[in-house]
Amino acid sequence: MHNKNSPATFWVFEFIFRVLPHLVLFAVLIWLWELAVGTGFITSIIIPRPSKIGGAIVELYITEGTIYRHFFITLTEAVVGFLIGATIAISLAVSSSLSETFKRYVIPYAIVLNVTPGIALTPVIIAWFGYGMGSKIALAAIISFFPIFVNTLTGLVQVDEDREELFQSLGATNYQVFRKFRVPAALPLMFAGLKIGLTTALIGAVVAEFAQATDGVGVLMSRFSFQLNMAASLATLMSMTTIGLILFYTMEFLDDRIVFWRRENRRAAASRARARAWKNQL
Amino acid sequence: MPDPTIAQSSTHDIVVSGQGVGKTFADGSVIALQDAHFNIKRGSFVSLVGPSGCGKSTLLRLISGLIPPTSGEIAVHGTPVTGPRADISMMFQKATLLDWRTAIENVLLPTEINGTPTKADKNRAFDLLKLVGLEDFAFSFPAQLSGGMQQRVALARLLQTGADILLLDEPFGALDEFTREHLNLELMRIVQEVGATAFFVTHNIAEAIFLADQVVVMTSRPGRMAKIVDVDLERPRPLSIQTSVEFNKLVEDVRETLGEM
Repeated sequence: MHNKNSPATFWVFEFIFRVLPHLVLFAVLIWLWELAVGTGFITSIIIPRPSKIGGAIVELYITEGTIYRHFFITLTEAVVGFLIGATIAISLAVSSSLSETFKRYVIPYAIVLNVTPGIALTPVIIAWFGYGMGSKIALAAIISFFPIFVNTLTGLVQVDEDREELFQSLGATNYQVFRKFRVPAALPLMFAGLKIGLTTALIGAVVAEFAQATDGVGVLMSRFSFQLNMAASLATLMSMTTIGLILFYTMEFLDDRIVFWRRENRRAAASRARARAWKNQL
Repeated sequence: MPDPTIAQSSTHDIVVSGQGVGKTFADGSVIALQDAHFNIKRGSFVSLVGPSGCGKSTLLRLISGLIPPTSGEIAVHGTPVTGPRADISMMFQKATLLDWRTAIENVLLPTEINGTPTKADKNRAFDLLKLVGLEDFAFSFPAQLSGGMQQRVALARLLQTGADILLLDEPFGALDEFTREHLNLELMRIVQEVGATAFFVTHNIAEAIFLADQVVVMTSRPGRMAKIVDVDLERPRPLSIQTSVEFNKLVEDVRETLGEM
């Protein structure tokens, strides 16, 4: 009988039952793909074999290393655009939650901005902000704005009559209700909005690069596609996926730490941390 | 019990009084409470019992100052109630704890609203958690506590306000029978220990009598105070008192009053 508490045994079982099936499935899919191209079922000009993509990856990421400059440019555009979009969205959501009048005037613009396909603004944005990073940052900011604005505002104006009555009975000021109750209560929804916003910011940056730019993974990818170098093009696409994953997990990490009270393991950790912090205060 | 009717007690002992208190909602078409008169002595435990719609929660909210009366006046410690005040504190059916605060931080909320908590305030919060039997859970978050424990935290928070008039709106109504009975005993002990005056809303007749010095029997449509029944049972009261003859006489009295309507 194996010892369930031994960490080594745990990881072996974890690998066999949870990781291995994924690896096998992935390997089979790649093998089928290789087979389909190899037998001529798919033309290799349209979709190259996985092994050719592998070769392009080695070239782009290791032997020549051309990808990194573009990678960091796109990453920067997405992050800076997101930060600008999020700052404006949160400021307007907070103001709208505090003033009914302000909200009435802001909402129509927010809706118009939302129903207009943000991507369609690309030519205009490039005309305004030029071929450089400015236009990419601007488009990323514009299309990340709405999900953050709407989610934050929804979080701030949600009604919890019981807790509001509690604060009222304690004689709390409006500012205290806002800071001690509304803001923390809005955090889960705000983070949901931030997660969507960060993903859309990356879309904005890449689409603007496709349209007109000199640097960035979008430029690199469309350049390879025009040369019908599909293997390199798809190898570049992988870097966008990587940027997306980095952004997504950074946000997940922050969400987990800041809105700690929703997950059992984070609650327990936070509880232990508070107990330590309080020890000298009692 | 020297004086069986509250009307006869000397005025300086009266902490809460109401003269012709009425409340109507929806442009006067719904009469939630009509012409209520009462004088409550310091340290009394008063139960408000009656069917839904009899205005017992409304009366509690009127005393708390959360809503103003349409007619009449309520006075606490001799001054009219015009809004929420420091000497009155309220507890609700739901624990209404803040999920992102530990138990002790929830207890400290009333102090934080009045200023920055001192070391003494923090020690008091911890002592109150001890009083409600939660000293081992001071740093737990609400989601880590059972429903009964959450209500204990809410009770500690209620006491942290330092108010001597406690308004309890079916505080254990959402809990199971056993937990509720247990918490009722605790509540009785704690209220006596801190010497507070308590108003306790319930629709359970036995519970109302078991806890109270006076039971205010209320009837509905329109909400009215039908009768005030004095409970002259000795304290401390064991749970077994509920099978005694005197207790059942009181139950009968309350039932009759409710049945008249």
